[in-house]
Amino acid sequence: MSSQLKRKELVVSEEEACRCIEDGMTISIGGFITSSHPMALVRQLIRMGRKNLTVIGAASAGLEVDLLIGAGCVKKVIAPYVGAEFLAPVGPFFRQYAEQGKIKVWECDEGQYYAGLRAAAQNLPYMPTKAGVGTSFPEINPDLKIYQDPVQGETLLAVPAIKPDVALIFAAFGDHFGNVQFVGAGFGDRAHHRAADKTIVQVEKIIPNEEIRKHPYQTAFQGAAAVVRAPFGSHPFASPGFYLEDIPHIQEYVQAATALTKENNPKLFDRYLEKYVFGPATHLDYLDVIGAKRLFSLFEY
Amino acid sequence: MPSDPAKDFSRNELSAVFMSRLIQDGENLTVGAAMAVPRAAVLLAHLHHGPNMSVQYARTRTNLFDVPVLEPFQFLTDWRGSKWAESYYIHEEAYDAITKVTDCFFVGGLQIDQYGNSNLIGIGRDYDRLKFRGPGAVGTCTLSTMVKRYYIYLNHHNRRTLVEKCDFISAYGWGRGGPDARTKWGLKGGGPELCLTPLGVFDFEPETKKMRLKYLHPGVTVEEIIENTGFELIIPPEIPLTPPPTENELTILRQRVDPLGHLR
Repeated sequence: MSSQLKRKELVVSEEEACRCIEDGMTISIGGFITSSHPMALVRQLIRMGRKNLTVIGAASAGLEVDLLIGAGCVKKVIAPYVGAEFLAPVGPFFRQYAEQGKIKVWECDEGQYYAGLRAAAQNLPYMPTKAGVGTSFPEINPDLKIYQDPVQGETLLAVPAIKPDVALIFAAFGDHFGNVQFVGAGFGDRAHHRAADKTIVQVEKIIPNEEIRKHPYQTAFQGAAAVVRAPFGSHPFASPGFYLEDIPHIQEYVQAATALTKENNPKLFDRYLEKYVFGPATHLDYLDVIGAKRLFSLFEY
Repeated sequence: MPSDPAKDFSRNELSAVFMSRLIQDGENLTVGAAMAVPRAAVLLAHLHHGPNMSVQYARTRTNLFDVPVLEPFQFLTDWRGSKWAESYYIHEEAYDAITKVTDCFFVGGLQIDQYGNSNLIGIGRDYDRLKFRGPGAVGTCTLSTMVKRYYIYLNHHNRRTLVEKCDFISAYGWGRGGPDARTKWGLKGGGPELCLTPLGVFDFEPETKKMRLKYLHPGVTVEEIIENTGFELIIPPEIPLTPPPTENELTILRQRVDPLGHLR
């Protein structure tokens, strides 16, 4: 019995976790609209100056994708929705960059999106859906192909595999070995993990492996390649079981983005980026900027 | 008397009650994004006549029939609503069997055309240079293709929204019309049955599948509807008023579903 072999511990800093992400890669970002986005990782990508990314937003995505677009990191977006419900029905940078042709949008709805992720997970070229037949989707997204199925001759839509090089996922708990637990359903994040080559998870809290073994049913998936501890790491978005959306902060972002996209005034957004993204060197520095009073005011109860 | 027609209600309350009557006990429903009035309708149906319904609530599935007062929420993801959960709603699994989780739903749009097609993609001739980029279809393409029946709900009734032909179709209603509009593509679901706006209720003529006025909301004239619709509506010779809520429905709506009065 060798005493040299040891199970590898995977907890790393956000900086080390993101080193594997290169310009031009395809990344997925988990969560759902105003909840559960790995913001420490998102801000780290912007700090690193990543460019030309294909971003697979969640079904459906929020302003975390919008921020990456506004920061100049994105070439293509694959997401059935990018917005923040009543705070911003459509992401401001998503809207402007799409209208001006500065990003490509790979148009799809949620059902087609999951079909594409499933194809990637099963190493198939495509998965068929009925959804999209008769609509504008195959016309505006030429990757979606209408065809007659070989078994029953039905008209179907082939959705090609949607494959992340790296999946970035936010979760409540992770242990040192890459076991991941959500509070709640975890939205569509498992589908991201299954489709991706590699998964990085950012968690509120690291828990010991013994806790995982007590309730293995709660383990949503194992096999994260890196685990990053980032308390309040979904801020300004919500974290189920921990805190709610920071509405004033999101409004501050929307105001800054709108000033740039609607009035061509970059001051507010430059200030936002300096204060919240480039100024703080790490996630904990970011939390210092937000401040304890604001953070604790966001608790659910 | 609980089943007396109510006398004092807002247009949003009228719409919510009307929509709640479209939903039957035992059905499974979803409460959607940015749709306060349909949300109220689903929850009212559940509390008024749907003890066997299940609803998707805070990304969980649950039955709320015995809950005295539903707390208002601003975001679909408000986890405080999960305290009633009977099960969790894993998103990609829902799409593995969408008709098992959704019997009917409500869809909006940047544009709705005379055949009930919906556009959430954007406005403009050229997709690569849209005049107005929309939010995206969310799940409406799959739902409108597969689900038993659905309803169109609009927050605004104007010529910009109700158009002759959508610039892009993200949810297929009745296509370019005709009795085989959906069957010719082999679409699985039943299609849109009604369109509801702040001015009235509309259905689709069975042969042509063109939108037709069915009910006028109180205080609205046919002229007002024609003036604000960007295509030629079928107008029947006699148009009844939208049936009003009963006192009982309004009581449940105001006391248990919408205690803060957002619909008033």
